[in-house]
Amino acid sequence: MKSIEDLERVKKETLEEIGLRQSSGRPRVVVGMGTCGIAAGARETMLAIIDELKKRRKIDVSVSETGCIGLCAKEPIVEVEVPGEQKVVYGNVDPNKARQIVASHLVNQRPVQDWIINVRKSE
Amino acid sequence: MFDISLHLLDLLENAADAGARNVALEITEDPSADSLTVSVSDDGRGMTSDEVRRALDPFYSSKPKKVGLGLPMAALAARMAGGEVSLDSAPGKGTTVKVCFRLSHIDRQPLGDLGGTLVAFLAGHAGVRLTFRYKGPGGHEFSFDSAEGTSGADASRSQIAFLSWAEDKIRAGLAVAGFAPDRGGIGVEVHRGS
Repeated sequence: MKSIEDLERVKKETLEEIGLRQSSGRPRVVVGMGTCGIAAGARETMLAIIDELKKRRKIDVSVSETGCIGLCAKEPIVEVEVPGEQKVVYGNVDPNKARQIVASHLVNQRPVQDWIINVRKSE
Repeated sequence: MFDISLHLLDLLENAADAGARNVALEITEDPSADSLTVSVSDDGRGMTSDEVRRALDPFYSSKPKKVGLGLPMAALAARMAGGEVSLDSAPGKGTTVKVCFRLSHIDRQPLGDLGGTLVAFLAGHAGVRLTFRYKGPGGHEFSFDSAEGTSGADASRSQIAFLSWAEDKIRAGLAVAGFAPDRGGIGVEVHRGS
């Protein structure tokens, strides 16, 4: 890299690359993947979500992760954000619950009330 | 955490938290030297010598919280298996965390679901390029580069299609290289079975 132009080109390419695989008005699923989440089984939860989305190719959902949000006892924590609706946070989400959340909340737009630990406004 | 792949996921998360754009994971099983070595290198912001000195303290974290258990737990797993953790880091230069285990040690944790660890990491960090190299006990090697799935004709594939491609490639490659997720020390097997 030798000039500002090179730097600008790299920036543009990288932003395009990230943009291709990131959320843009799509439903979003975020899994807590801090140390506490990993120890509680967040990896298996994440893999179950990916596997369930793989089977349901018609829905376009962005999957992401975050660190510890300070509620370690409720890990694995999964946040579901559907555009235009409130963010729903689920706690103690094992792989089976994760699959049901995909089917019920993301496919059928019916949040699973029993496992919700918080609901908040979308930013 | 009962297997090494979970510690690795935590170390990879640390690398991403440090703002890394490129993360390299290397795992080598060497029966002739009785060693299992894993290393995570990143080009993130790096650490000062004071941060390096305190990194293995479970009550220290660079994040706004009181504890930082990831590295100390990896270090504990290594020490239980006759190994050690070493850190090489400098501000602006990135960080390399190297964890060594005695391969045959009775308390050496199994490697676990390494494919799952890599896929979970890729799912959460679309902007990070992950390279991975595994050298199996028989000398067979497997390499993976996430950039291969995001370039050329593959650049427009969906996130789920990308993850599906990555999982298939990693699991198949590891199997060919002789990777065994459950192979660990005898003590660990007894513990897992009890």
